[in-house]
Amino acid sequence: MNAAFTLLTLISLVMLTVLSPQKAFPTLIEGVGGAVALAFKLVAVYAVWLSVLKMAEATGLDKKLSRGLRPLIRKLFKGESDDAYDHISVNLASNMLGMGGVATPAGIKAIGSMRSDGVRASDNMILLVVINATSIQLIPAAVIAIRAANGSADAADIFLPTFISTAVSTLSGILICKTLSLKDKHNKNDISYDLNSIVKPDFCKKFKYGRNDK
Amino acid sequence: MSVYILPVLLILLIVYCAVKRVKVYDCFLAGARDSLSLVKNIFPYIAAIFICIEAFKASGLAQALADVLQKPLSYLGIPSELAQLIALVPLSGNGTIALLESIIKDCGPDSYPARCAAVISGATETIFYIAAVYFSSSSVKKLRYAIPVSLFCTLMGAVVACALCRVM
Repeated sequence: MNAAFTLLTLISLVMLTVLSPQKAFPTLIEGVGGAVALAFKLVAVYAVWLSVLKMAEATGLDKKLSRGLRPLIRKLFKGESDDAYDHISVNLASNMLGMGGVATPAGIKAIGSMRSDGVRASDNMILLVVINATSIQLIPAAVIAIRAANGSADAADIFLPTFISTAVSTLSGILICKTLSLKDKHNKNDISYDLNSIVKPDFCKKFKYGRNDK
Repeated sequence: MSVYILPVLLILLIVYCAVKRVKVYDCFLAGARDSLSLVKNIFPYIAAIFICIEAFKASGLAQALADVLQKPLSYLGIPSELAQLIALVPLSGNGTIALLESIIKDCGPDSYPARCAAVISGATETIFYIAAVYFSSSSVKKLRYAIPVSLFCTLMGAVVACALCRVM
């Protein structure tokens, strides 16, 4: 991110200085002005949405969803421990609800409790990353709120397209992963699995809470 | 129809809270409190990305990039206004929100590019961040095909999103 930011800003500033030097500095301040306006809007959006998530958490709805996902997860991620299944279902359920703050620590714990081939990511680990990256979105709340705040006539009408396009990307991700891992199994016969599954470091103490973002 | 989705879900949730004897007022207090600290934490990222976007647009580079990408993106059915968004999506969630806001401002909230941008922002995740953080406390170093497959599927999702926005 640092390299990308430096490069982009530098090139833009050089261009600006050459083309219209009087605009260079005001442009930067205008940028932060936009950021301040957006930050205030986001405070309002998140105040409502985080409250809703708190209610979902307090009533145990997120746990119900993760329990409902359990049979499916067992089928997708073959050969993991119960502990790993727990973390994976919490991770995927909270990701579907857009609760990045819960999804991230659960994801770290899930990877830590999965069987490992040493330095190479296992097929199941990759599958977890891909499903997270393409995660089905049940309610894209932040986006809906931003559209509403900017005067959209029907801010929630992106609900169905979002759901369908994420469903398509998640399904195709699972299909590609499964195809690639089948191919991989033909190429090598692996005995390292059993050796490594015995070693299971304790990650529970180490994780930090954070947003699914940077 | 879709106007009813969120309010009805919210009503159901509050009723469910009442049945389960969850303190709704306390939930709102906690949510509002978390919101302030969350925005305080993400503000630096938003400010940085806004400075970058503003300079990028004012220098004419954004237009140049859009012009270059117009052809390849149009084959995929993606409006050229979204070129920057698609490049930013796997890197930064706050950046995506910031860029979405500026696309909505430029094109109008219910225009075709703005709706596509909204769906893409809602449907995508920060792939590089997920990959880096999830493996941060594990000994795994080689991610093999995880990132290429994630990126490919995200792009496919974006293409589907733009197609859906034409008809829905």
